[in-house]
Amino acid sequence: MPTLDVKNLVLWYRTRKGPVHAVDSISFALEPGQTIALVGESGSGKTSTANAILRLLPKNVLRYDGEVEFDGQNVMELTDEEFRRNVRWRGISMVFQGAMNALNPAVRVGFQVAEPLMVHYDVDRDEAADQALDVLRKVGLPADIARRYPHELSGGMKQRVVIAMSLILKPKVVILDEPTSALDVMTQTNIINLLKDLKNTDRLSYIFITHDLGLASELADLVGIMYAGELIEVGPADGVFVRPKHPYTGKLLASVPRLRSEEAPDFIPGAPPDLTAPPPGCRFHLRCPVSFEKCGWSAEEFIAQMDLLQSSGEAKDKVPSIASMSAKSPTSLLIKPGANGSVSDFVQKLNAFVAATSEKNRFLKSIESVQGKTKSVEVKLYETTPPPIVGTEWRAACWLVTEGAA
Amino acid sequence: MTTALAEMPTEIGPEQHSSNIVETDNLTKWFDVGLGLFRGSLHLKAVDGVTLTIKRAETVAIVGESGSGKTTLGRTIIRLLEPTGGKLLYDGRDITHSAEKRLMWLRRKAQMIPQDPYSSVNPAFPVYRILEEPLVIHKQGESKEREEAVMKALQAVKLNPPTFFANKYPHMLSGGQRQRVAIARSLILNPEFILADEPVSMLDASVRISILRLLRQIQQQFGIAFLYITHDLATAKHFADRIGIMYAGRLVEEGPVGSVLGEPLHPYAQALMGAIPDPDPANRLVVRQSLPGEPPNLVDLPTGCHFHPRCPIAQMGLCDVKDPELRELRPGHRVACHLAT
Repeated sequence: MPTLDVKNLVLWYRTRKGPVHAVDSISFALEPGQTIALVGESGSGKTSTANAILRLLPKNVLRYDGEVEFDGQNVMELTDEEFRRNVRWRGISMVFQGAMNALNPAVRVGFQVAEPLMVHYDVDRDEAADQALDVLRKVGLPADIARRYPHELSGGMKQRVVIAMSLILKPKVVILDEPTSALDVMTQTNIINLLKDLKNTDRLSYIFITHDLGLASELADLVGIMYAGELIEVGPADGVFVRPKHPYTGKLLASVPRLRSEEAPDFIPGAPPDLTAPPPGCRFHLRCPVSFEKCGWSAEEFIAQMDLLQSSGEAKDKVPSIASMSAKSPTSLLIKPGANGSVSDFVQKLNAFVAATSEKNRFLKSIESVQGKTKSVEVKLYETTPPPIVGTEWRAACWLVTEGAA
Repeated sequence: MTTALAEMPTEIGPEQHSSNIVETDNLTKWFDVGLGLFRGSLHLKAVDGVTLTIKRAETVAIVGESGSGKTTLGRTIIRLLEPTGGKLLYDGRDITHSAEKRLMWLRRKAQMIPQDPYSSVNPAFPVYRILEEPLVIHKQGESKEREEAVMKALQAVKLNPPTFFANKYPHMLSGGQRQRVAIARSLILNPEFILADEPVSMLDASVRISILRLLRQIQQQFGIAFLYITHDLATAKHFADRIGIMYAGRLVEEGPVGSVLGEPLHPYAQALMGAIPDPDPANRLVVRQSLPGEPPNLVDLPTGCHFHPRCPIAQMGLCDVKDPELRELRPGHRVACHLAT
């Protein structure tokens, strides 16, 4: 039985610009002692996923549902008070990003580590202090550290204190949110070695949140790749790192500059989408190198891409002259030919342009039909839905993967 | 893409230039940190005797952990800080102790790309004004020529179409686009040397590579020398010609990227390389080699080799007594270690 089983977890925020789809139907399961690395760019929803699991929610939550089964119990059904008493920190704890800079400067670190024991288990001060010493020793700190104040410690030592705090109630799952992001390389390595060691000796399950694929591979048994609020690929590290299924995972791996390979890193063109208005279809289709007909281009995206192409200079001469474009529906648009060109002439030119350049300008592949009207040309685009995540042990959400597997 | 920026006339013909844009000889920068009665008697030795040459149109990466002195070295080289000792030549001219008001020429020729694209530009200025400002300060050209230069700079950093971006305010741009604006600003005075101090550390992984590639292109297109300061050995490998590794204020190893990273000779350089993982699922099954302890306090440095207290091969009686000199052990590849061969 998995220690943690997350099913269709959703977390949306309400903002002035509209709902932010921070976590959109995420599912994964974690066996005892297993680590999943959640990897993605900033704003992809990694930390929101952690907050949703730990029910650490801001006031502007718009939608929060799904199932989080911990030790066989759906903890989403608990009241906030029950959840706080029995699950948070006791069952699932977290090392927050930058937590080492949030230690109380006026309280000895030993007490800060011991405090959850006194709050959750009503343990008396001396007993709690003893247990805190044990945990501090376990994370590789000398015993006299308990009497020191945070400012007396180095960054690496403070991070160890924060890890000790997350372990004091002996949880089964620890969420690590960028646990080494502010540390130097050597210190980072020492912390990662500590986490590896704890994982093996205590059979801890980690949810390791990072943007660094190299670091992810240090701890991950499973890898989950997040993009624009969705988990687009999740599977065993041995598979995902070596033969990624989703084109985004492939591009992400190719963007890592490697120390032990001469292969030049490549970048991913464009930027992640706005989560208040996620793109239709596959959320990655705008940046995808292999997108095709059904990946989800909308008429508005089509117009924006066409505009970009017209103004880009290099393709200027080849793009058929356009006077204006307007979206008629999400999947159809009207184009008025420019430069007094006739409609039939324009249809011909557009078809030729599509045939010649659609491998490079992949949005052109979304054209289902081009029809000449009296004064304008109607372009119909393929209808589509978002690709479902398919597979069992190793899942990916991409139409190409679906079709390859079938 | 060709832009006319490369064809702009330079003030002096190339034949009059030194082939080395920057030369430092035993450069030091100490800060006074003494307190009270002993004021001035304690020094924080941020840069402690660095000898380095940067040739025209090459990229030298300086890699080190925080507190290794890499940022101070960069700022000293472009004379934002005055050296405490040693010698600093720019294009063959001694600028070690030149007065600030006599360095206006350097402020044109040597530029800087800041680390933080979010706080380095004036949020109340549109992009156009951000880029025009250096030209106005240095009294370069009439408004028509300045406009041309701004558009060319925007094109050079691939913010197309330039007229579209010229009217934007910084808050309307993404992090990557803002960093492109900062790069355009560094290009506007047609410099020959650019200090890029962690130019991509605040950006997302997928954007990082596009910015570093852009810098490489700019370097090749305009023949600009770059000093790329970073903590990231992997990007230095892919975007620099030579690499220098700093530890506690000193250059411990320096040479061509292929030589230094192909065969690191200093124990610190070896440890640094060993500490950085490439994405590989086998990593989780092994314990990564690391160094004990932490970098030394720069106010109270170890005697001899600064690295000896953490060094796995240090020999007492030698390493803790004698300062190691940079020795050329491979072609163009220097190492400051008594025991390296």
